[in-house]
Amino acid sequence: MSSDSDSRRNTFEDVDWDEIDDTARPISHRALAIASAYAIFVGGVAYDVLLAPEGDTIASLGLSLQALDWLYILTLLTLVVFGLVPLSEHRRMTAHYWNQFKKNTAAVVSLGYLLVVFAIGSIGPRVLEKPRVDARNAYQPPVFTSVESWLPVDCVGPVVNDRCHGTWAHPLGTTHEGKDILVSVIYGMEVSMQVGLIAAFITVTIATVVGISAAYFGGWVDTVLMRYVDLQITFPTFFLYLVVVYLYGGSLFSMIVIFGLLGWGSIARIVRSEALQRREETYVLAAKNAGASSSWTIRRHLLPNVSNSVITAATLLIPSLILFEASLAFLGLGDPTVPSWGGLIASGRNDLQYAWWISTIPGVFLFGTILAFNFIGDALRDAFDPRSGGGTT
Amino acid sequence: MTQDDPLLTVENLHTSFHTDDGTVNAVDGVDFTVRRGETVCLVGESGSGKTVACESITQLFKRPPGEITAGSIVFDGIELTNCSERELTDIRGARISHVFQNPQNALNPVYTIGWQLLEAIELHQDVSRAAARAEAVELLDRVGISEASDRLEAYPHELSGGMKQRVMIAMALACQPDLLIADEPTTALDVTIQAQILRLLKDLQAEYGIGILFVTHDLGVVAEIADRVVVLYAGKVMERGTVYDVFETPCHPYTRALLDCLPGRGSLGGIPGSLPDPMAPPAGCRFHDRCPDAVPDCSTGDQPAFESVVGEDHEVSCLHYRTAAEPTVLESGVEPRRPSERTDGGDTHD
Amino acid sequence: MAVYILRRITWAIVASLIVLSLTFLLLYFTPDTQLTELQFQAAQAGNDPERVGEAYERYHGLDQPIHVQYLEFMTNMVSLNWGWSETRSQPVTTALVEAIPYSMMYAVPSILLSTILGIGIGLYSATHQYTRGDYAATAFAFFGLSIPDFWFAIVLLVVFGGMLGWVPILFDTSVATVSYANVTQLLLPVTVLTLTSVASLMRYSRAEALEYVEAAFVKTAKAKGVSDRRILYRHIFRPASVPLATILVGDLVGIIFVASYLIEVVFGIPGLGTLSYRAIVNQDTALVVGTVLVPTFLTIIGNLVQDIAYTVLDPRIDYGDR
Ligand SMILES: Nc1ncnc2c1ncn2[C@@H]1O[C@H](COP(=O)(O)OP(=O)(O)O)[C@@H](O)[C@H]1O
Ligand code: SF4
Ligand SMILES: [Mg+2]
Repeated sequence: MSSDSDSRRNTFEDVDWDEIDDTARPISHRALAIASAYAIFVGGVAYDVLLAPEGDTIASLGLSLQALDWLYILTLLTLVVFGLVPLSEHRRMTAHYWNQFKKNTAAVVSLGYLLVVFAIGSIGPRVLEKPRVDARNAYQPPVFTSVESWLPVDCVGPVVNDRCHGTWAHPLGTTHEGKDILVSVIYGMEVSMQVGLIAAFITVTIATVVGISAAYFGGWVDTVLMRYVDLQITFPTFFLYLVVVYLYGGSLFSMIVIFGLLGWGSIARIVRSEALQRREETYVLAAKNAGASSSWTIRRHLLPNVSNSVITAATLLIPSLILFEASLAFLGLGDPTVPSWGGLIASGRNDLQYAWWISTIPGVFLFGTILAFNFIGDALRDAFDPRSGGGTT
Repeated sequence: MTQDDPLLTVENLHTSFHTDDGTVNAVDGVDFTVRRGETVCLVGESGSGKTVACESITQLFKRPPGEITAGSIVFDGIELTNCSERELTDIRGARISHVFQNPQNALNPVYTIGWQLLEAIELHQDVSRAAARAEAVELLDRVGISEASDRLEAYPHELSGGMKQRVMIAMALACQPDLLIADEPTTALDVTIQAQILRLLKDLQAEYGIGILFVTHDLGVVAEIADRVVVLYAGKVMERGTVYDVFETPCHPYTRALLDCLPGRGSLGGIPGSLPDPMAPPAGCRFHDRCPDAVPDCSTGDQPAFESVVGEDHEVSCLHYRTAAEPTVLESGVEPRRPSERTDGGDTHD
Repeated sequence: MAVYILRRITWAIVASLIVLSLTFLLLYFTPDTQLTELQFQAAQAGNDPERVGEAYERYHGLDQPIHVQYLEFMTNMVSLNWGWSETRSQPVTTALVEAIPYSMMYAVPSILLSTILGIGIGLYSATHQYTRGDYAATAFAFFGLSIPDFWFAIVLLVVFGGMLGWVPILFDTSVATVSYANVTQLLLPVTVLTLTSVASLMRYSRAEALEYVEAAFVKTAKAKGVSDRRILYRHIFRPASVPLATILVGDLVGIIFVASYLIEVVFGIPGLGTLSYRAIVNQDTALVVGTVLVPTFLTIIGNLVQDIAYTVLDPRIDYGDR
């Protein structure tokens, strides 16, 4: 089709990564902005580690950033720099992908849902107090529903015909400990987003570095790296997490880092095989640009060509990470200080017959979030598939 | 039956594909006939609807999105467009068989050659395993594969492209069909192999008296093999006639442009411009925006009606064929079917 | 081919040894919780925690140099002497052997069901692409892929066990393996496990079959006069079975181990998952290691079987490369 050659030119392959991440060239405003963003980040971490008093980052603001928060900031910063910036600067490319993507209604709805979850999960915990144990408030039903009045110790809403009715004070009800479920769910949103995004960020970074190194350097580097990947993939990830969490305890931070450090094998394989497919081309290219450095070749030629598959694989990885965390939390092996959805589901397990909402409601959010990521991953795969671009004969 | 009995008559064939972006009328009112023992060539640039026209005959294209929307296809007295899927299945391979463009993927990679040949034989003939095997060996032998009985055990990936195409031909001949449809059977092969395959087809035709519908975008090949030629452009017939007439007195500007692309002729880079958008073909003559002889009338109304021109059954759909007609080919020395050893001109792959 | 298979077997053995060595290192460098506990008790009882510690280490051979301990550990592991479960007061291997039948009771039917359903529905989807049936199958696949199994399990348990009372809520180990009571109590676990594992199999077989539905050789078969049904079985399913074999063993094994862990805990089935979970909760390290090594070795064996299946099914495989 005649429009095909035009539209092909608007894909990630054509993003000029040099403009984006090459600070060595005559410095553009953009490069400067990005460099300073990362510099500020590094400065912040350095300040927190070296100078700030124990536990407080900026005492006057009551702001205290933990390792996890710093990692989350780094993840989001990178997402902006390597995701949103190129998208906003390459309007034609963005329009091309968006047109492919929006054919899939489920994916568009999912994207909206995830943005809302992300927004609420980011803001909510900043303005809402952490849910507290309050035995007198236990077992309040969600608004518009009712429960036999013997169950809640103290019914907050009206009691009609021996049934306790829910109120807007606790729109989604409370747990057996009297924790507000809506607030817990909102806190859980942040946890799930942190788990999914940070662990995927670590995974993708390592997988890309390993995959590209293996393909680019070949030889023994390739052999050693891929043998290691073989081994890592052999080990069922979930059980690896289980052992490590058992031995070293399950703070959310360590869990996320473990997820990130141990689960990159299959994506590294994808990156390697994609990069290998381009190596021939690269040799030709390198010959043409005699003197092209290896970093130039990798950045300019190998990286862009693997970005599509990496983005898709990462999107499909996130839901399984979220599910792993929820599963561990459900088993009581997660971080006990963190209000995770999995923990919330577990807390209502014994009361399911009387107080159905405690386990059900967070489960619906967990299900919805996983479903949304799966839908988006599927749509991205279709959008990036060159075969779906135009006429096929 | 006489030689002139039409074996296949295609009239006013319309085949469309319903896609997300709109309907493609890939074949848009095409007529041609194939008689027993003769070779008819469909020629035209890539995308002009040759493959779809061939696959319409036994409805091999994917349905949906494809659909025959109008027209009639009569094969040996049977109206194929009215046949059920069962009836078509009985005709395919037994009476009408196909050889495809790319032998690379045309054979199932997980079965041996023998398995696939035996399947073709046993589907339509009630023979014992041993007899079928003997027949398979004979077929392979006939298409020029040496050590045929050993080759039965080979897997497709162990054969070269030319060998695979010979196997495909053997498979197509397994049930002594009346009609062989060969869709660019040599395009994917290199020039020497191409010549061998063409020779093989001609020999087999002489031996069994089958009708061949041969598709190509390469007029060099046409000159070697065809009895009659049908020139297709954007789903419509532009010109048809005997190979001699079409080469000696090409009447349609498109035919002449194709002839100009033969090696040793003027134009090197193919015909300037490209095929019209298949979703929205232009009004008037479909070739008008690339035609050097176009006049304003060419871009209005329908495709020009067919008019007979010099020669036997020679017809052309062009408003200005008369003024445009010149015996250009004779000057160039490219002569149809003579000398028959001609093997060059095969490198205009698309 | 024999050489190739031999190489894969060697690799499986090497991988197993590496896994065992890593396990040893993990244990060696992790503080022993039982020791800490003992020392704490000793200190409270007024004894010298140091001496208790030394006695403990001598008893368990922990005062030996690392290579001696390592050899001892590996020998024990290879000779299936996997240690003593403190909390169950029985050898770890005995505990494992007792638990495995309970896991198989629901996992085997579930694997069979999801294989048949997954491939069947996937093929149907591929040959009926973009029809209503295909959309329904796709929706079903996404549902199965996304639903948190442990959550789905408790919801089903409440609805069918609690509210409707159709199935028992508590798993009863005293019923006979082949009995109506056992079938009813295994119904929900099998359903949940099948749902989660069938989804990815369905998606894969649909995608694989789609590759072949459009393949040139399928058109050849059609042109030969092969019927649609025979095309589906002989010309699409057979070549698709090559990559499917990979997924079957590789993916399915992974999914089933994880899902069954949670399912057992929810339904109270005393299989491997529950055993492992209890061991973790009770800090029974030997048992934790045992229950984690079983799925790991099964995965290694699964990968091996998959590699061999590949060589048998695909005549094109290039042995030199792998
Ligand atoms: N499955 C299909 N879906 C949509 N359009 C198709 C399909 N198959 C063929 N076409 C269209 O039909 C036209 C003719 O194609 P084809 O017969 O393959 O050309 P040729 O064989 O002459 O090169 C092209 O425009 C092509 O885009
Ligand atoms: S009808 Fe007109 S445009 Fe078409 S071929 Fe003839 S002269 Fe050219
Ligand atoms: Mg064609």
